[in-house]
Amino acid sequence: MSIMEYNGGSVIAMVGKGCVAIGSDLRLGNQALTVATNFEKVFPVTDRIYLGMSGLATDVVTLREQFRFRVNMYTIKEERDIEPEAFAHLVSSTLYERRFGPYFIEPVMAGLWKTQKGEHKPYIAAADLIGCLNFAKDFVVAGTASEKLFGVAEGLWEPDLEPEDLFETISQTLLNGVDRDAFSGWGAIIHVITPDKVITRTLKGRMD
Amino acid sequence: MFLTRSEYDRGVNTFSPEGRLFQVEYAIEAIKLGSTTVGVRTPAGVVLGVEKRVQSPLLESASIEKIMEIDAHLGCAMSGLTADARTMVDHARVTAQNHAFTYDERIRVESATQAVCDLALRFGESVHDEEAMMSRPFGVALLIAGVDEQGPQLFHTDPSGTFMRYEAKAIGSGSEAAQSELQDKWHKQMTLREAHILTLRVLKQVMEEKLDQHNVQLAQVTPEKGFEILDEVRLKELVDDM
Amino acid sequence: MSSLNDVAGPQQRQFNPYTENGGTILAIAGTDFSVIAGDTRQSEGYNIQTRYAPKVFRLTDRAVLAVNGFAADGNMFVKKVKQRLEWYRHAHAKDMPLHAIARLIQTMLYARRFFPYYVYNILGGIEDDGSGAVYSFDPVGSYERETCRAAGAAQSLVQPFLDNQIYFKNQQPAPGTSFPAHLPLPIVLKLVIDSFTGATERHIEVGDGLEMYVVLAKGRDLSGLEGIVGLQELSTKSDGERIFVIRRELKKD
Repeated sequence: MSIMEYNGGSVIAMVGKGCVAIGSDLRLGNQALTVATNFEKVFPVTDRIYLGMSGLATDVVTLREQFRFRVNMYTIKEERDIEPEAFAHLVSSTLYERRFGPYFIEPVMAGLWKTQKGEHKPYIAAADLIGCLNFAKDFVVAGTASEKLFGVAEGLWEPDLEPEDLFETISQTLLNGVDRDAFSGWGAIIHVITPDKVITRTLKGRMD
Repeated sequence: MFLTRSEYDRGVNTFSPEGRLFQVEYAIEAIKLGSTTVGVRTPAGVVLGVEKRVQSPLLESASIEKIMEIDAHLGCAMSGLTADARTMVDHARVTAQNHAFTYDERIRVESATQAVCDLALRFGESVHDEEAMMSRPFGVALLIAGVDEQGPQLFHTDPSGTFMRYEAKAIGSGSEAAQSELQDKWHKQMTLREAHILTLRVLKQVMEEKLDQHNVQLAQVTPEKGFEILDEVRLKELVDDM
Repeated sequence: MSSLNDVAGPQQRQFNPYTENGGTILAIAGTDFSVIAGDTRQSEGYNIQTRYAPKVFRLTDRAVLAVNGFAADGNMFVKKVKQRLEWYRHAHAKDMPLHAIARLIQTMLYARRFFPYYVYNILGGIEDDGSGAVYSFDPVGSYERETCRAAGAAQSLVQPFLDNQIYFKNQQPAPGTSFPAHLPLPIVLKLVIDSFTGATERHIEVGDGLEMYVVLAKGRDLSGLEGIVGLQELSTKSDGERIFVIRRELKKD
């Protein structure tokens, strides 16, 4: 059995109109045995960037701290918040450092970046476990339910969704995707990042 | 007489020069020695009736079995060598169960009848490498009653493997008188109860003994309850009401 | 020169009787209709063998069978089912009812329990009572009647989408209302097309063409099919159940 499926779990991010959404399921498993149902896999990086990670849980926790450290160093040195694109490359290079002994996680990032004119543009990206970046215009997925999430998202997602519609779309995609996956589920958490606030909601799902 | 039939009535599968299979014809004759058996079809179901000849006061009449269930929606009554009927009913039962197993539906009455008739001509000398066959034709005729998507139906089969559908049919020793009586009294819109009474009256006419609930047996197949043999209590009520 | 010493050691060879030919099938039942669909790409590994290999077959005027998995087994299996249907017609003087075909397929598949047909079957059509029905099977004959089912390469992409859109999973009806048990034909056709375009987008083994068979119950009008381009009727009678096929292009990359 693949180490990527050892703990289970899935993440997804989607682009909306002037907003982005990112979410994960809450399951932590030990192979088929569910160990915890409150294991969030999405973490704030800045006020407008969130990072989600699926894969080996120990690496999820390790990398969360690793990225916290590196982002803090960046903020102190640069005296400004990191932008989504720079953060994506930070993630990528951090993972590639371990090219031949990788962390067993697949990251998913979502954020807003400010243009010169001051408007906020959505940004999402994902990468494989050694940091090969994938900048998508619509949505990115990762984890044990990734195939299912691709299928549902392909059917439900449409361009220019307002925050509330984007929330509904990502929630339905995540919930229905993980319901067909034995290693993901047990509730979910969604963050919708808008220019002036982040809407965070915990969702109830099938508990089986 | 023996000149014309000369050797040709010996082989069970040899035609005579006139194109007859004597053994099959004799088998059909054998049925006429059997007890009278009647079947009546109505729009509400089919009724089967048999005479049980109780040859001795020491014979348990309940042990005479001339009406048998094939499936929940199929029954049959027999006349002739009833032992032969076991083979046929057995085959019909297996065929019906196999059909239900393979197709998740009840076998049609005609298909079950056809399956029984397919057996009828499998007699004769077994050829090398072939399974041993039956030595002679069946000596029994059946009335097969059933209900399917085409409604209640009654079929008659004989030892030649021929089968035909009837509205009402009598076989066995009293069949000639019984059949003409059925022809007189049967009508299209009979109720099930009328069919019960008609069956009993026809049997009563051709029986030597006085008819009572012990020396006849009645069964019915209805769309609602399928095949059922009427118990002596219900039989007695009907006999009293005749 | 070869000597006794450098004679090669024992060798093992194996013939693998199965391959996987990709593609996806899907069926959805309505109250008085049934839609059975499949893409037409046939592949082996990363090679496309053909862009048009039908996986959906008309069995009778009220039954359609979709077959996915190992194409050789699938084609042979359909051939044998059709043969059995003809024998049945001769023996019993009627077309085999849908539920009977379903049971027959189970017995045929289970008969090969230890050398199975490597195929997933989905049977769709109209039941004797006039209702639309879908039966899905595993390769050894375990089967179930359902409202919708996807199978094949993109099953994992399509099935959760259908759970959401057909069964309304994870959705709450508006207060005082309830979700319908069956959807109308135009919506079902839209969902089928969306499912396949989605699967084509994200799965390399799905694409090229789409064939959607529509079976209508006896006496049902053609509502939901009017104005559909390239609609082709396949029924043998006009007074019984009716079968139509709709063909669409899918992306070929």
